[in-house]
Amino acid sequence: MVNQKIEVPSFGAFEKPHSRRNFLKTLAAASIGAAAGGMMLSRPANAQLGEINDDIDIANFALTLEFLEAEFYTLAVDSGVLSGSALGVVTNLRDHEIAHAEAIIGLIEQFGGTPVEKPEFTFPPESLASQQGVLELASVLEPTGQGAYIGAGPLIQDPTVLAAAGSIAGVEGEHVVSVRNLLGFVPPTTEAFPQALTVDEVLAAVAPFLGMGEMMDTGGPTAGGPHRAV
Amino acid sequence: MSRVRGVGAAGIGREVSRRNFLKTAAWAGAALSAAGIGGVGFATRYAGAQEGGGAPFETYQGLGDAAILQFAYQLELLEGTFYQMGADMGTVSGNALAQVEAIRDHEFAHADALAATLQQLGAEVPATPEFTYPDGVFEDPASFLDLANTFEPVGIGAYQGAAPALESKEILGAALSIHNSECEHWNGIKILLGIDPPNNVAFEEALPLPQVQEAVAPFGLG
Repeated sequence: MVNQKIEVPSFGAFEKPHSRRNFLKTLAAASIGAAAGGMMLSRPANAQLGEINDDIDIANFALTLEFLEAEFYTLAVDSGVLSGSALGVVTNLRDHEIAHAEAIIGLIEQFGGTPVEKPEFTFPPESLASQQGVLELASVLEPTGQGAYIGAGPLIQDPTVLAAAGSIAGVEGEHVVSVRNLLGFVPPTTEAFPQALTVDEVLAAVAPFLGMGEMMDTGGPTAGGPHRAV
Repeated sequence: MSRVRGVGAAGIGREVSRRNFLKTAAWAGAALSAAGIGGVGFATRYAGAQEGGGAPFETYQGLGDAAILQFAYQLELLEGTFYQMGADMGTVSGNALAQVEAIRDHEFAHADALAATLQQLGAEVPATPEFTYPDGVFEDPASFLDLANTFEPVGIGAYQGAAPALESKEILGAALSIHNSECEHWNGIKILLGIDPPNNVAFEEALPLPQVQEAVAPFGLG
């Protein structure tokens, strides 16, 4: 975990490289208990639960995902490729993820923890070259965040932290639908039981944006990330 | 007045007070507004703490998992029956009908999952309440979608409020998935209402149990 206090993140530009090692450490810490215990909860009431992580570790894991989403949407809005409803939706996606990151940072500090730094992210050029590219990557990021929160929820110990996670988790679910709608899915709302993801599945999904191809091998069932039926 | 027992059995029922319904709708509107439409006021609301009181989840603590699931089961039936009526009565068509049918199926799938869990717990599965819906709501697509736009945040707020009070981690996992489905529903309804962008809250709002009960009482629940 990073030992310096982080400022409220600025998403306009890449910050100084690194903290990747710190991020890896955080992920490792987050994944030890969760993966060993089976973070795959839900798909209703079908859970295996072993060791529980520290809430701060889970919050930092979530913070990294929010950083990732916020940065992508900031770049997407700034790219000029969006217009009409897509611009409105993605602008709100950006604002929500930034608000989530700020809320999580506040929560971590409230509980005496240290928020992780924002890692350096890279995105495939095609994901920012067209509206379709933006929406397609959004349709990967959103179910990843959604599934991460659903999966992590039962590992959270403090009810206040869980309440905060629930408040954010549902918004990611809304995002999933708004993005699907822009991609033309009819109906856009298709899931009775949105799926929980394991730490390994989340890692596999976000590794490409961290230049962490090697992280694909986490010793768990990666299976290429959350390719979800839509 | 549309009054139904179970799925799709329309009947003539007692008058529901229109004033109560309007009150409920107004309350839900206020809740939505407080939840952050307009982009202000949510930053400190994420944890669900209320002015001058505790967090919403505290109102569910001590009920026990079975009682929470029994209440959730009835909420799902209230929603599912509402969407069933709308689909059966031709309230909406085309893409809207496809969405309403999907949401209906989800609500009943939620109810089935909750009933199965209650049975596993050895707890009673409640009888299906006799629901009452406002006059004309199934004859007017806009009114129907407006009421859906009231129901969904109530369901969201109930699950979100109750989640930290659940004792079983397995049940919590299921509840979080269902909660998320309700959030997806709300977004789907907002899309049908033409709200653009539909993703217009940064934080979903948890509701204390008394507010949920007050919201659904006019429909024959509680």
